[in-house]
Amino acid sequence: MFTQFFGNYLLNKGLVSPEHLAEALQQQKNTRLKLGVLAINAGLMTAEQVDKVHAEQQRVDKRIGDIMVEMGYLTRNQVEELFNTQPSGHLLLGQALVDNGYMTNSQFESALSAYKSENGITDADFYNADSKQAQKFISNFYKFGDENKNIKYFTGYLSLLFKNLIRFIGDDFTPLEADIIGNRIIMECIGQRISGGLSAITIIEADEFTSAEFASRFANEHIETNNDYAKDCISEFLNLHNGLFAINVSNEEGIELKLEPQSYYDKLTLDDIGGAYVIPVNFSFGMVNFIISM
Amino acid sequence: MSKELKVLICDDSALVRKKMSSALSGMGVSEIHEAVNGNEAVQKYAEYMPDIVFMDIVMPEKTGVDALKDIKSLNPEAKVVMASSVGTQGNLKEAIEAGAFDFIQKPITEEDIVKILEKIKA
Repeated sequence: MFTQFFGNYLLNKGLVSPEHLAEALQQQKNTRLKLGVLAINAGLMTAEQVDKVHAEQQRVDKRIGDIMVEMGYLTRNQVEELFNTQPSGHLLLGQALVDNGYMTNSQFESALSAYKSENGITDADFYNADSKQAQKFISNFYKFGDENKNIKYFTGYLSLLFKNLIRFIGDDFTPLEADIIGNRIIMECIGQRISGGLSAITIIEADEFTSAEFASRFANEHIETNNDYAKDCISEFLNLHNGLFAINVSNEEGIELKLEPQSYYDKLTLDDIGGAYVIPVNFSFGMVNFIISM
Repeated sequence: MSKELKVLICDDSALVRKKMSSALSGMGVSEIHEAVNGNEAVQKYAEYMPDIVFMDIVMPEKTGVDALKDIKSLNPEAKVVMASSVGTQGNLKEAIEAGAFDFIQKPITEEDIVKILEKIKA
């Protein structure tokens, strides 16, 4: 999850454009991590040293690991360990950005280091953040404030949403800042109400193409257009996510939630549901808005 | 493996019905019926008397738990497996009290279905 927010960080700092980020997110699956990025991430080499090694590699016909050892930056064992490093999303994203020439190694190193330090994130958190830490991070990122009495449910809901998006749709997305909306007409969306110990409505809104892509990913089959089947798939994603959220609330708080059947709306006026947050999530195939009132 | 079993899948999601039906066919189940809500599930249960029902909980018209109660009143021996995303303590308790045979948490895997079929045949 922190990888996706790292993408947002790069955007906000003006280090990459939305187009370049989307392109890199799409490419990261086919990106092979290079030793330089791994060495920088492990804190074993600086970006400047990696650049020197790359310059040396232009002159001599040797493997990059051998050059790093010969130049005294790494030991043989460290090279071996780096090659065995599990690829993590943020590194793949960084590598794709560097490979495309959208960032230099040095810019990537500084951005990653600043991101980790500003958010109190360690390398291990990229692999396995606990849910409390993820919720705290989300609360800080979205700046919801403490006035909303349901804030803990809200952050829990979003933390789980990003996990479920990664699990069921894909990791090639960037969460963008939330908007509060009080009065808006939403066209062609899918919603599900939650009642019981917590009253909420949750909505997924996207354009035709993005909806079809989102549905295809969830169903794991090609769906050409945003037809009834595509809408059914998106509905089922929403129901699955809300169901898992209800289980968390039941287990952690002992509060039972009831889910209403999902509905497709041609036109939904937000007046009907009161103020809501729009959480835009920019996938490599398009923007999906999650509208949540809690 | 399960040629002689008759199965009814009740879920308002076409995706879930399609995936479950495909998985069951792959396991050799030849008679599979589908229902899209609780009312239809009760009707189709009465019509086909399946050996096993996979029943969603959150559905329009009639919830899965209400359909389970109706099916149990038709046949107290009916084997109804609740297959839902909402496996909360409350739903589990209600389903067990209403006589559910088992509960599977969505997303449903082929492994989940195999375990249920083995349990039914045991």
